[in-house]
Amino acid sequence: MKVALLSFAHVHAATYIQLLRDRSDIELIVTDPDAEPGDPTRGKTLADELGVPYRADYEEALAERPRAVIITSENTRHRQLVEQAAAAGAHILCEKPLATTEEDARAMIDACQQAGVSLMTAYPVRFHPAFTALRHSTTDGSLGRLLSVHGVNNSSPPALERSWFTDPALSGGGAIMDHTVHIADLIDVLLDGEQPTHVYAAANEHLSPAHEGAAEAVETAGLITLTYPRGLVTTIDCSWSHPATHPTWGGLTLTCVTERALVEFDAFPPLLTGYDTSRATPRWEPAATDLDAAMLNSFLTAARTGQRAHPDGHAGLRTLRIVLAAYESLRTGQPATITAA
Amino acid sequence: MSRLDVALIGAGFIARTHMAAWIALGARIRIFSTDGQAALLAEEFGLTEAASLPAALDGAAIADICTPTTTHHDIALAAFEAGAHVLCEKPLALTPKDAQHMSDAAHEAGRLLYPGHVVRFFPAYVRLHDAVTSGALGRVAMARFTRTGRYPTWSNWFTDPALSGGIVTDQMLHDMDIARWLFGDVVTVHATQRGRPHAPEGPVATGSATLTHQSGVISQVLGVWGPPATPFRYTFHIAGSHGTLTHDSLAHPSLRVTGAAGAQGDGVPTGDFGEDPFATQIREFAAAFQGGPAPRVSALDGVAAVRIAAAARQSAATGLAVAVAVDDAYPLTLTEGSPR
Repeated sequence: MKVALLSFAHVHAATYIQLLRDRSDIELIVTDPDAEPGDPTRGKTLADELGVPYRADYEEALAERPRAVIITSENTRHRQLVEQAAAAGAHILCEKPLATTEEDARAMIDACQQAGVSLMTAYPVRFHPAFTALRHSTTDGSLGRLLSVHGVNNSSPPALERSWFTDPALSGGGAIMDHTVHIADLIDVLLDGEQPTHVYAAANEHLSPAHEGAAEAVETAGLITLTYPRGLVTTIDCSWSHPATHPTWGGLTLTCVTERALVEFDAFPPLLTGYDTSRATPRWEPAATDLDAAMLNSFLTAARTGQRAHPDGHAGLRTLRIVLAAYESLRTGQPATITAA
Repeated sequence: MSRLDVALIGAGFIARTHMAAWIALGARIRIFSTDGQAALLAEEFGLTEAASLPAALDGAAIADICTPTTTHHDIALAAFEAGAHVLCEKPLALTPKDAQHMSDAAHEAGRLLYPGHVVRFFPAYVRLHDAVTSGALGRVAMARFTRTGRYPTWSNWFTDPALSGGIVTDQMLHDMDIARWLFGDVVTVHATQRGRPHAPEGPVATGSATLTHQSGVISQVLGVWGPPATPFRYTFHIAGSHGTLTHDSLAHPSLRVTGAAGAQGDGVPTGDFGEDPFATQIREFAAAFQGGPAPRVSALDGVAAVRIAAAARQSAATGLAVAVAVDDAYPLTLTEGSPR
């Protein structure tokens, strides 16, 4: 099955390429035409380094009629590429957030529906087997009713690798745009798609590197509170607050308070820890569960069989609406209301 | 220098923890409570049981108020009237008005008033305070605090929000005070509070608060009163430009006993082995009452914490973010914005 990966703008592009390039059932082609010419971390240079066939531009890649397309561009460029890929008849996996405006997200969902292709949003954490177990235990009644859910998704600042993450014209925002959606998607799964009614957000730019002539700073730390129709409360720490020199990128945890128990989920616990004298840093070996691989498997199976892939575009839209409400709350200083879609 | 004649008012859980610390300092204790428990403590620890509040306060240098929150104000005023300094268990009061009045009354009587914000005396928070104030964490952006334990069913009044303020006031006030101690005055609070009085294993409650400090730091306080088997645990995570600091009170115990019959293995001490923070607190307050240096927490800190907690309660009730008066202007006012 031919798979095309479009754009290396997002740091996940290289991760996906490494997971797909050696699979005998996948013929992977890639392109990154929007990269700055000569950027050694992108474009044909990166494709050669990773050992994957490179195409000159999106049109050339899509002309080969790939059955599946993975879009890892800057956030605000998702819509254009999704519409092109849908028109080319490809099933689509789009990096999160699905879009930065509700209008874009709806247009993408519509384009894929009209073309009869799947639109999947890249939320890997829901594929963790421990999360599946958590979901079962919170929905089968054994833990009683859910009172509150507290999520943390911290990472080092992504702009250190890709500067567009702090350019609102390309990213749509900062840490709130980047990180809220992962936790929001897990809660979306736990609540079967139920939407919050109110979203409150507090944020600051204290961890932004101060440099002269910088564009308008985006938020680098954020705390969000969601309230649901039946009273459930959810909090999300979406901060880019993890030290860049730490041996791991960050992490994601979820604590559920139920009538009968506290349940704590850690999506990225270390498998091994220790100390590395040669580099004078702590050792941190990630767990063996590869969430990106599980997500890609699910997407590729759906693409192969023509089944609908989940989380779909609607899941991407529901979580985006929470993000947009969080920004509205930042503007007003009060909780923003989410109306039923 | 006055002698340590202490009037211990109340005979519940907190009175017991304070009593041990007073005894260790050589205090002479007269105890009074209205719940019938004072006689038991008096006999067990060789204290004098007072027949009434005035009798307990008569000639006492210090009143240690360990009664339900709504009774603090009147007892404190009686203590000042009787010429005693006051250590008052947290929260000072349910309302900012009462708390401020207690502080004013202490000032007018020329007596000292200290709130029992004991968390400021726990070693992990002391070390955190050092790291923040020394600049070791750089410019702080964000902090999270959690506090978890079993629902306080040992006294009836905790379950009545009209008496305790619920989890937001009674429990989360600790971390609200810590956040303010570390990052300065709080200008806005958004909070939630949920309770299930009739959950299968007994009452449970949870609360959240997002604080925006005048310094721009944002902090999150989470509280849980869980089912009976919930272990007591507190955690924090602070992120600044020079890195992070994390604590989990259950992560690295000095002694862990498993396999013994009974959860704790009777006869084997577990937990912390340093000085009991309640003892540290009372030693520091006792020194101040006897003319020594000012302790790390003041009456105004107690008033400020009550203000934050009251704003949080108001936020939880209305769904709106609530502005916290930083100076002594009260009552609280809603910030402008769309109503829920």
